[in-house]
Amino acid sequence: MSSGWVLCIDFGTAFSKAAAAPRASWERFSPASVRPLMLDPAGAGNPFLLDSAVFVEAPHVLFGSAAIARADALAQEKRAALRSFKTLLSAGDLERALETVPPASIDPTRSFVLRDLIVLYLAYLQAAMVRGLAADRMLSQVDSFERRYAAPAWRGGDGARMHGAVAGLFAEAETVCRNIGQRLLDPAGVDLEAAREAVRAARAAPTPIQIGLIFEATAAAAYTAIGLGSAATHLAVLDMGAGTTDITALAGQAAKGYHELPQARVTLKQAGDFIDNIIVNVALAKSRAKTPQAQTALWRMLKSEMRDFKEALFASGHASFRFDGRTLKIALRDLEQDRDFRGFAGTLGEAYQHAMKLLADEARADGATELQSVAVGGGAAAPFIQNLIKRTNKIGKVKVMARPATPDWAHAAEFAGNLAPVFPQLAIAIGGALAPEGMLAARGSIPAASARSETLPARD
Amino acid sequence: MVEALAQAAWAEADAALARALADADVLTRLVKKSGPAVEGALAMLRQSLGQAARKRGLTRLEEAGARAAFDPNRHVLIKISSKQPKDVRIVIPGVVRGETILVKAEATPVSPRRKR
Ligand SMILES: Nc1ncnc2c1ncn2[C@@H]1O[C@H](COP(=O)(O)OP(=O)(O)O)[C@@H](O)[C@H]1O
Repeated sequence: MSSGWVLCIDFGTAFSKAAAAPRASWERFSPASVRPLMLDPAGAGNPFLLDSAVFVEAPHVLFGSAAIARADALAQEKRAALRSFKTLLSAGDLERALETVPPASIDPTRSFVLRDLIVLYLAYLQAAMVRGLAADRMLSQVDSFERRYAAPAWRGGDGARMHGAVAGLFAEAETVCRNIGQRLLDPAGVDLEAAREAVRAARAAPTPIQIGLIFEATAAAAYTAIGLGSAATHLAVLDMGAGTTDITALAGQAAKGYHELPQARVTLKQAGDFIDNIIVNVALAKSRAKTPQAQTALWRMLKSEMRDFKEALFASGHASFRFDGRTLKIALRDLEQDRDFRGFAGTLGEAYQHAMKLLADEARADGATELQSVAVGGGAAAPFIQNLIKRTNKIGKVKVMARPATPDWAHAAEFAGNLAPVFPQLAIAIGGALAPEGMLAARGSIPAASARSETLPARD
Repeated sequence: MVEALAQAAWAEADAALARALADADVLTRLVKKSGPAVEGALAMLRQSLGQAARKRGLTRLEEAGARAAFDPNRHVLIKISSKQPKDVRIVIPGVVRGETILVKAEATPVSPRRKR
């Protein structure tokens, strides 16, 4: 049965996000019906962002910000939370990677393989979505959603099999969530034995679900195009998150779907986390903190406030922090003069220009006269990213148009100022919910009689 | 109903926040040469205010020092004058959210440019 609403999950390296939108959005767009989910309403951070983290400490398993806080408190004892597990999903041999035993720093109890911890996290995410849906005035009235998740496009490999494997994790997570329920959201964590039992049961009996896949760059194209009379036929997407910066070039037609130019794709391992480290080093140098204790204290203080610090640095060109009775100021220039940063900016610039050139060639061959470019992800507002996408106005005869990271409609009065500031981070989840069917990369029932999970053919 | 009440409270808090942001600019102008301790404290205060404001989707209206054609919907004159000026110089930027102006920019009249 088809439902009138779509729910899209963006399972991010640092944060997970989810958003819902009416299925008919593509034909009849109404900004007010775009509903990002409050996944972490009581947390210290932005309520739309759920920390992607799991921490194992007998007799409990902790999730989200509670997991990070506990891991930070025990950092001296060589303990760590499992984070960035999303990167695993792009492993060449996913099935094998999932069966890896995590290091003792992550699971000293030796209770789980990575797959178990990911399933537990997805169950936690599912529980947070159930709570978020119930809290939303509009969404609490909807009884079923067409579900999608966003993922980076897989290089080569067997797309259908990958989708099957990832969707299988969601199916198991559904069983765990039904089993443990809202207790997953308890900041004190869930009982370790109960968690272990729940993942074992889920493996044996995953809950049948329907879930579609949308590639992240396509989701960005969807939100960029919606509400515009003329959607882009050629679009470059620059996505800077916590762990990676991705460049993707898309060509096609919004309603019928886009195809990617594979030669243009670049994934750099430098992104938000990398910039955080440079900032910490600049700050350490400025602070003249000499003793290891003072350095550790500064390091901790900055790490815990880094998102806000970067926000101020990018928005105003400088940011200050107070340390040891003094106020210290860091300018954007300090970051831009760092050698590692310059290396990254150089590589990024070249990769971007290369992608734009290929895209312009494709546009010319397709008879298009314009191509568009957009930045998404938490780093989208960074001045060096915005400068990059705004620098080129023309490639040969093809006009280049930079699209805003935050579309005008995100400022609509209905959002009361809540959406626009965090839009670039929610862009993929929102775009994935708004996208027309034709943009999906795969869909299917999971677990599937193998014939039922299909990968949609790429348009050549 | 609860939601409507919450919205009303937010709107009032946002207006106060927008006001504080502009007031911090005034203060900054006044304490320019007061030594590193005061400047540091003020920098931190402005940073926190700026962050709170951006998190609430507020942005600046006009830039300090910029010249603009006087628009009573966007500008308020610092000194009351009987005649409406043609052009103004912005002294303290205003605050907006999207299209909505929460605080107008404060400005002083400038004498019209000489025709060459
Ligand atoms: N306003 C902002 N200014 C600068 N950096 C930001 C801002 N908001 C988030 N970030 C950074 O963006 C990164 C997270 O981005 P996100 O797109 O959510 O990543 P992912 O999808 O990989 O989880 C983090 O490094 C975070 O510090």
